[in-house]
Amino acid sequence: MESLNAQEQRELQSRMEKKQLKEFANVCASMAPKPPLVHQYMPFMLADIGTVAQMYSNMVQRCFDDCINDFSSKSIGSKEESCVMRCVDKQLKSSERLGLRFQEQNATMMGPGAMPGR
Amino acid sequence: RPQPTSAEKIAAAEIEIEMVSDMFTRLTQSCAKKCIQNDYRESDLNKAESVCLDRCVSKFFEVNLKVSEKMQGEAGRR
Repeated sequence: MESLNAQEQRELQSRMEKKQLKEFANVCASMAPKPPLVHQYMPFMLADIGTVAQMYSNMVQRCFDDCINDFSSKSIGSKEESCVMRCVDKQLKSSERLGLRFQEQNATMMGPGAMPGR
Repeated sequence: RPQPTSAEKIAAAEIEIEMVSDMFTRLTQSCAKKCIQNDYRESDLNKAESVCLDRCVSKFFEVNLKVSEKMQGEAGRR
């Protein structure tokens, strides 16, 4: 890393402080007594490309780790390929189920009759 | 007591969405790791995996709550 001049250092300082404030706000928000309004946010969450990208890369890693263990060749064999396909299916179904339960848990936290607009 | 402005409400909601998205991604990763058997003999979830996933979500939320309660307790004392 090249060394920073005084102005660059100030800019870096300012960015780090903003980041720390944001993380601090996260901690405070997480300690707030009211539960998050997930049913309002679900559409935003699912449209968030960051979330989708994260889930995609986790899935690739999981299926690679679990299915690919034979390095006697540089291309994947048919056994490995079908394993990966079933793995992806399973991970997707799993995410779907987890998403449903996640929404249910949040609805429960908010109490009965607490889902406006449904 | 002053009401939060639209801009403040949106900013707070943005932070909350990020946190909830993050929580969901972590929950997905942990629960899939703990519950999905890694032989992938079939592409459907079997009964054991399904039940495990359901219980995993429930426990994850409980842990989240207990940690947050404890942190509030700690903050109260300092």
